[in-house]
Amino acid sequence: MRPTKMMFAAGLLMFLAAPALHAEEAFLNYKQYCMQCHGMHGKGDGVNVPAMNILPRDHSDNKYMMSRTNTEIYKAIKFGGPAVSKSVKMPPWDDVFTEDEIRQLVGHIRTLCCEQELVRGVNFR
Amino acid sequence: MKRLILFSLLAVIVSPALASAGEDGAAILKNRCASCHDLKGPAPQTIRELWKRDAPDLFYAGNKFRREWLVEWLQKPVRIRPAGVNYLRNINSTPPKSQKGKAGRKFDVLWGEVLRPLKHVKLNRAEAEAAADALMDLRPHYELVAGKKLDSKVKVTLDSGELLIDKVYGCLSCHQIEPGYGGYTGPELYTAGARLQPEFLLSYIDRPKNWDPKIWMPNMHVKPDDLQKIVHYLILLSKEDFDASN
Ligand code: HEC
Ligand code: HEC
Ligand code: HEC
Repeated sequence: MRPTKMMFAAGLLMFLAAPALHAEEAFLNYKQYCMQCHGMHGKGDGVNVPAMNILPRDHSDNKYMMSRTNTEIYKAIKFGGPAVSKSVKMPPWDDVFTEDEIRQLVGHIRTLCCEQELVRGVNFR
Repeated sequence: MKRLILFSLLAVIVSPALASAGEDGAAILKNRCASCHDLKGPAPQTIRELWKRDAPDLFYAGNKFRREWLVEWLQKPVRIRPAGVNYLRNINSTPPKSQKGKAGRKFDVLWGEVLRPLKHVKLNRAEAEAAADALMDLRPHYELVAGKKLDSKVKVTLDSGELLIDKVYGCLSCHQIEPGYGGYTGPELYTAGARLQPEFLLSYIDRPKNWDPKIWMPNMHVKPDDLQKIVHYLILLSKEDFDASN
C-alpha cells in the first residue's frame, strides 16, 4: 500500500464504524489468532498452510469477499466454517472473543478486501 | 593468619561443590529457571502480556506434566513447539525464491533460531529429579482437573484417532502428529500422551482458555465422547517409535 492510501484507509477506519482504539484491537486480534492460517497479509498464506488440505480464504480477494455479507463473515468467525457451509478447518472463535471483538474483526477484514467499497459506502448487510 | 588463608582457600574450593550438592529442587527452579519461566502465575491476561512471554508457564507444572517425562526431558531437552513459544516472532512473509508454493501460492515460512535445535539448560540426573519434584509441587489449578477422568472402556485405533484430529476437528492444521506431519503453531502432539497427564489433556482440549486466557488455540467444542477418544489416541500415539519409522 502506498503511504497516502494507507493514511486514507486509516482515516477512513477512524471515521467509519470504529474509534481508532477498536481498529487497533481488531488488528492485534487478527495478528495473534488469524495470521497463523490466513497469513501475515491476510492472503490465505499462513505458516500452517503446508499442513492444510483446505486452503484458508484469501481475505484480500475482493471478488470473493464481496460475495459474502457481513453476517456470513460474522458467523464464520464466531461458529467456524461449518456455520456457513465451509470447512471445519476454519475453527470457531466464540469462546475466544467478545461480541464486540468479533464485529470489529469483520470490520478489519473489510479493510483487507474491500477498501474501495468502504470508500463508496457500500452496504455490506 | 596462615590458618585463615588456608581456611578461606578451602572454602573457595569446596563451596561451589557444596552449593550445587545442597541446591534443592526449589532452589534450582529459583536460580536457574525463573529468569525465563513464570513459576508464580497468573498466565498473561492480555495480548501484550502474552507477547512478553519468552518460555512456557511452569506455575501449574504439577497439574500438567508426567513426572517421569520431566526427569528425562530436563536431561535431554528437545524442541516441543516447532514455531517457538510465540509463532509471531518466528515467521517471515517473504520466503526464499526457491520455495515451491502450495497450489501455486507462496506462504509464510519459519525462519531464524527456531529452525535450529533447541538451546536449553541441561540438568544431570540428580538435579533433574530434584527439579521435577519441585515442579510437581506446583498445583494451583486443582479445580480444573478435578472430576476429569480417562474412561478406560473407550477404544480407539491410530486410524480412527487420526480421523478425529484431521477431518472431524481440524487439529492437524496447528499440531503435528508425526515429526514433520502437521502444522507449526501448536506444540507437537505425538509426544503429548507421554508428556502430559491425561486429566490435563481432557481439561486443556475442552477449554484452553481456562489454562491460558489469551492462547491462540480456540475452543474446538469437542464432544465429550470424542474428547475421550482423542486423549486415548494421543496416549496410543505417544507409544509409537518415531525414530524407527524415519
Ligand atoms: C486453523 C487455521 C485457521 C485459523 C487459525 C483461522 N482460519 Fe479462517 N479459514 C480457514 C480456512 C481453511 C478457511 C476456508 C474454509 C473453506 O473455504 O471451506 C477459512 C475461511 C475464513 C473466512 C471465509 C468464510 C467464507 O465465508 O468463505 C473468514 C471470514 C475467516 N476465515 C476469518 C478468520 C478469522 C477472523 C480468523 C481469526 C480469528 C481466522 N479465520 C482464523 C482457516 C483458519
Ligand atoms: C533461557 C531461557 C530458559 C531457561 C533459563 C530455562 N528454560 Fe525451560 N524452556 C525454555 C523455552 C524457550 C522452552 C520451550 C521449548 C519448546 O517448546 O520447544 C522451555 C521449555 C521447558 C519445559 C517444557 C514446558 C512445556 O510447557 O512444554 C520445561 C518443563 C522446562 N522448560 C523446564 C525448565 C527448567 C526446570 C529450567 C531450570 C533448570 C528451565 N526450564 C530453564 C526456556 C528456558
Ligand atoms: C489454531 C491452532 C490450533 C488448533 C486448531 C488446535 N490447537 Fe491445540 N494448541 C494450540 C496452541 C497454540 C497450544 C498451546 C501452546 C503453548 O502452550 O505454548 C495448543 C495446546 C494444545 C495441547 C496442550 C499441549 C501442550 O504441550 O501443552 C493439546 C493437548 C492440544 N492443543 C490439542 C489439540 C486438539 C486435540 C485440537 C483439536 C480438537 C487442537 N489442539 C486444535 C493451537 C491449536
